[in-house]
Amino acid sequence: MTEMLKVTVDRRHPMAVIYTEGYINNQGGEEIARVAYDLIDDDHKVLLLNLQGTKIVNSIGISILIEIIEKMLEIDGRLAFCNLTPTIEKTFHIMGLAQYAKIYPDEGVAIGELSG
Amino acid sequence: MSWEDVLGAARLREGERAFLVRLLQLLCESRGLKAAALYSGSEECFERQVMWGSEAFPASIDGDDSGGYESLELPEGRLLFAPGEEDWKRPKGPIVLALASGLRAAVLRLQLKEQSFVVNYRGVELEALYEVGLAIASMLNLEQLGEEILLRAVSLLDARRGALYLRSGGRLVLDHTLGGDAMPELPLDDPQVAQVLGPGLGGEQHLLPGARHLMAVPVGAEPNSRGILVIADKESRHGVGPFPESDRRTLALFANQAATALETAYLHRQALEKERLEREIELAADIQRRLLPTAIPVAEGFELAGWSRPARHVGGDFYDLMRLKQGRVGAVLADVSGKGLPAALMVSTIHSSLRLLVDREGVGPGLVQHLNRHIAASTAPNKFITLLVVELDPSSNEVRYVNAGHNPGVVIGSDGNVRELASGGLPLGLFGESSYESGSLVLEPGDLLCLYSDGLTECESPSDEEFGLPRLVDLLRASSDRSLSEVIRDVDAAVTDFAQGLSQGDDQTLVLLRRTA
Repeated sequence: MTEMLKVTVDRRHPMAVIYTEGYINNQGGEEIARVAYDLIDDDHKVLLLNLQGTKIVNSIGISILIEIIEKMLEIDGRLAFCNLTPTIEKTFHIMGLAQYAKIYPDEGVAIGELSG
Repeated sequence: MSWEDVLGAARLREGERAFLVRLLQLLCESRGLKAAALYSGSEECFERQVMWGSEAFPASIDGDDSGGYESLELPEGRLLFAPGEEDWKRPKGPIVLALASGLRAAVLRLQLKEQSFVVNYRGVELEALYEVGLAIASMLNLEQLGEEILLRAVSLLDARRGALYLRSGGRLVLDHTLGGDAMPELPLDDPQVAQVLGPGLGGEQHLLPGARHLMAVPVGAEPNSRGILVIADKESRHGVGPFPESDRRTLALFANQAATALETAYLHRQALEKERLEREIELAADIQRRLLPTAIPVAEGFELAGWSRPARHVGGDFYDLMRLKQGRVGAVLADVSGKGLPAALMVSTIHSSLRLLVDREGVGPGLVQHLNRHIAASTAPNKFITLLVVELDPSSNEVRYVNAGHNPGVVIGSDGNVRELASGGLPLGLFGESSYESGSLVLEPGDLLCLYSDGLTECESPSDEEFGLPRLVDLLRASSDRSLSEVIRDVDAAVTDFAQGLSQGDDQTLVLLRRTA
């Protein structure tokens, strides 16, 4: 069973893919935010969160993801998600994240569209 | 920066934050300030909303602390600013009024956002509860189901850690854990577990080592609960804390839904297991049917027949009729201890061993000793086989036999006398070095040799009476004018009538050999 969230990044300037593995809770969300803000400071304006390794997210994690989305909107950037479990995808829709961040079925489709 | 620029930002819908940043810039430029920051909050704590300039204003400040900066109280927060090198003025006038209004709008927007978040997350909670009863209930893989239940419980209640324990015998075994170590198993009589499963739910237990705030509920109602669901350390943006009482009700409701889902999955697994066993038994029964003789050996002056009715799909009885060298004929009836698949495997073993050895060695002590050694070496110590094997030499009308612990076969003479086939030794498989002896007798015209299994003579009636050997012998005595296939039908009918529909626990097998001339 997954313990602390692990985050890795694939930089493809001006885009970056953030991979998560584990529980997106308070600690996990803050780690994602730290990585995302570093990327924003490094002038990455398109961020793709690949949640293939994440099966669980709680409300604190969601609130932090919303903050990242707001930050991206402020800089006229874009945040998108891919590889969500059905449960997490449904949660994102209910919580309104899907209104401001597009959800793609997989990374290939996401990169193809976000790069275009 | 001018008022027109600020209003322009508002018209361009750059957003509330950009509008406030431009206001701060206008304030700084018009009052000779280096930097300024706008905080929202109450008397105890203020959080930074926007700032302008190169100063590193703190993200939050306490009520009495302004971080060494000049400050100005606003209705919904506080303005911090760093004066310029020279000729600066304290903020006042329409810009401060505009900042206060903008801050008020920002605070209202934040409150609205928080309320909207709470309402939306309530939707997520309801969805999770609904789906436990729907999506999870349709999840029939127990391994996946256990993980799904734990993940949903932990996320639903913003727990940092959790564990699901399921009953296995007299203990609770850890099924899944999240966020840290958990005890691998818990005895049901553990006081902490007893408190969770008992009526006095609650208390800060320590079922998860290292957890600071713990909540546990039974999965399903006692005394038939499936296990316990434990979550720990309620998260917030500031750390972890205890769970409110309303969370316990939510978790208990969730756990009840989970119990139903687990019950469904258990039943499904049992059904699959039963189906698999039935397929295996059917396969074994098919193999065993193929072991029964398909053709009756012909011996001039003699008539042979065999019949078997298994108590289950796969029985422990076995008989065979074999053509041997020099026109001889062999017959065997064996009864394997136990029933079902293990018995079928032993039947298969004895069948192949006997077929391999009997033609080479003929029926005698050597054959049975070989069989015994083989069975003793290849089966469990508590398994054994009783066996009665006979060999008929039609040229001399002599029958040679060895009885390895089986019911003595009988020969019913044309005069009504009965002789028993008792010589032999212990059942096969008990002791590898057992010795055996053979017996022999000569069949006269009209003599009927009968091998039978105890399932036939011990067949029970509803009044607990056994069919018994005397009834069988009487039937056979009265059958001298009937063919052996008719005799078998008579025995079958008599035993069936005797049982009056009562299910029998043992196989019933009969082998008959009659000298006709």
